[in-house]
Amino acid sequence: MKKSLLTSLFVFIGLMGISQEEQIVQTFKDTRIVNGHSVETNFKGEMKFIISHRFGTVNGGAYELFGLDQASMRMGLDYGISDKLNVGFGRSTFEKTLDGFAKYRLLRQTENNSMPLSVTLLSTIAVNGLKWADPDRENFFSSRLFYTHQVLISRKFHHRFSLQIMPTVVHRNLVPNESVPHDVYALGGAFRFQLSKQVALQGESYLLDTNTLGQGFYAPISIGFDVETKGHVFQFHFSNSRGMIEKFFITETKGSWGNGDIHFGFNITRDFRIRGPK
Amino acid sequence: MKKLVGIAIGIFVVSTAFFSFDDDAPAFSFNSDSKVQDVLVALGEVAPDHYLKELDSNWVQKGYELTHLGRTTHPDGGKSAYISAIFVCTDCHNQVQEDPILVNPQPEARLAYAVEHDLPFLQATTFWGMVDREGWYNDDYIQKYGDLVIPASKSLYESTQLCAQECSSGRKLEAWEWTAFQHYYQSIGLTLEDLNLTDKEMTLLERGARSNEEVKGELVKMLKSKYLLASPADFIDPPSNHAEGFTEIEGDAGNGKIIYERSCQTCHRYGGPSQLVLDDSPLTFKKFVRRMDSYNDPFNLYEIVRYGTHAEPGHRQYMPLYTADRLSNQQLEDLRSYIEQPH
Repeated sequence: MKKSLLTSLFVFIGLMGISQEEQIVQTFKDTRIVNGHSVETNFKGEMKFIISHRFGTVNGGAYELFGLDQASMRMGLDYGISDKLNVGFGRSTFEKTLDGFAKYRLLRQTENNSMPLSVTLLSTIAVNGLKWADPDRENFFSSRLFYTHQVLISRKFHHRFSLQIMPTVVHRNLVPNESVPHDVYALGGAFRFQLSKQVALQGESYLLDTNTLGQGFYAPISIGFDVETKGHVFQFHFSNSRGMIEKFFITETKGSWGNGDIHFGFNITRDFRIRGPK
Repeated sequence: MKKLVGIAIGIFVVSTAFFSFDDDAPAFSFNSDSKVQDVLVALGEVAPDHYLKELDSNWVQKGYELTHLGRTTHPDGGKSAYISAIFVCTDCHNQVQEDPILVNPQPEARLAYAVEHDLPFLQATTFWGMVDREGWYNDDYIQKYGDLVIPASKSLYESTQLCAQECSSGRKLEAWEWTAFQHYYQSIGLTLEDLNLTDKEMTLLERGARSNEEVKGELVKMLKSKYLLASPADFIDPPSNHAEGFTEIEGDAGNGKIIYERSCQTCHRYGGPSQLVLDDSPLTFKKFVRRMDSYNDPFNLYEIVRYGTHAEPGHRQYMPLYTADRLSNQQLEDLRSYIEQPH
């Protein structure tokens, strides 16, 4: 047993070494796909400022200006501690939620397929900042906390086309009742199709048993365009989820594409070099 | 004719050194490793402000690190602040010889030399021999930097400061950092060997060093005729009709590929100083092909090469232009041919 563990470890380390050679880059053009993370990380010393907006549903009609009257937003900062290790935090107006994450690029696909996949690990934490619904009862800070852990696995098949899958677990410290599980398991999938040098079509969705979440929850489906300009990436998209962090869009999506509960949204990211040349 | 007479007089005067050297003069021995700067000073030339007689290896190392990494160990300990958040010197400057013929630098010959010695093909001149020049930011650079060029054109210190602050979108160098650059520059100054002197010229030099001022003056002239005292910088315009290009020139796609790899991809690589990655995918080439006939467009090949771009508030990355002396119109058409060929 020990021997096989050691062998596995050496093979793993060996694969990591191989992955340093002739690496495939830009599997996705940004660190986010629509709502979720891609395998990409910021370079060491690079800070990314992300402003995200999500609006109400387009089926609100002209009176709601197709959802534009109901904006929620998230502002976030990501930072590259190294080319592989990134950390970040953000604040969503939706449920006054503060979130943070750590992300580590474990493996990178190589040209010669000695490493056929890119793999990045992601852990996030979210803190609900709303006032207690019932301040008179005993409330615990831990009840505000949500955790998400993902393994982001991707492959760039062609200079135009990449796929990513995301085995995910979301842990909620507080759930509405005993029948609702604390841990929600999901399998995400995402793609990038590069339309031109600067424009890509991207989408993401998650498979999960929404019945365990309670009534009226749906699997998130999001699709949008990614437009790269110098120093900025603009992402325009449509989603049945209004939240912009994992705990919202994986476990709390209440919109249905079939009912027209589609939210328009956009992300604007701006990169800054704050620690010297790459 | 006048030139020939001048050369003849020069040879005559220098030749007299064989018969007129002063045995009591302090000895100065030359060899092929002698720095040209040292020899010139020994021959009575006034040392430029940046000249250092003795090099300190610690300062040379610090200068090397500032050049290649953008920062080094601060004299008081700890890491120094980066000079620029975006660029390092080596993004635009080679650090070794890049022209096969020092007195006649030509972009075609430089590209062949770059291939032979596996060097990038860059916009700015090499740091190798920088201390031996007498002018920097020459000719048309005044169009780009205006009056800032006036002090920089006469002083290596000022030109280094201009480069640190403007060209690299960085900050002013501290005094100790200039000292480090000074030592590093001097360490990669020209040597007599680099000038490919003939045996006769070496002999004249050895004897003439102990000769009179007139002879020394001629030897100084002889040495300075072996390399350029200032690199030419000629800004030129793109062709008037971008779609047609330079109609009299036929591009060579093979050569264009070399330029794309050794020039464009030096900065436009993943992880490079530019955020725009120019890879080998068809989408990248298509982007330029589509914009080949556009104007006032940073994706037009002719305009981006000849005009470059400018740093903007909040976006300090920019692309320096290529002068005619660093990339010829023939090479530009070669590059176009490569970009336009099927990928």
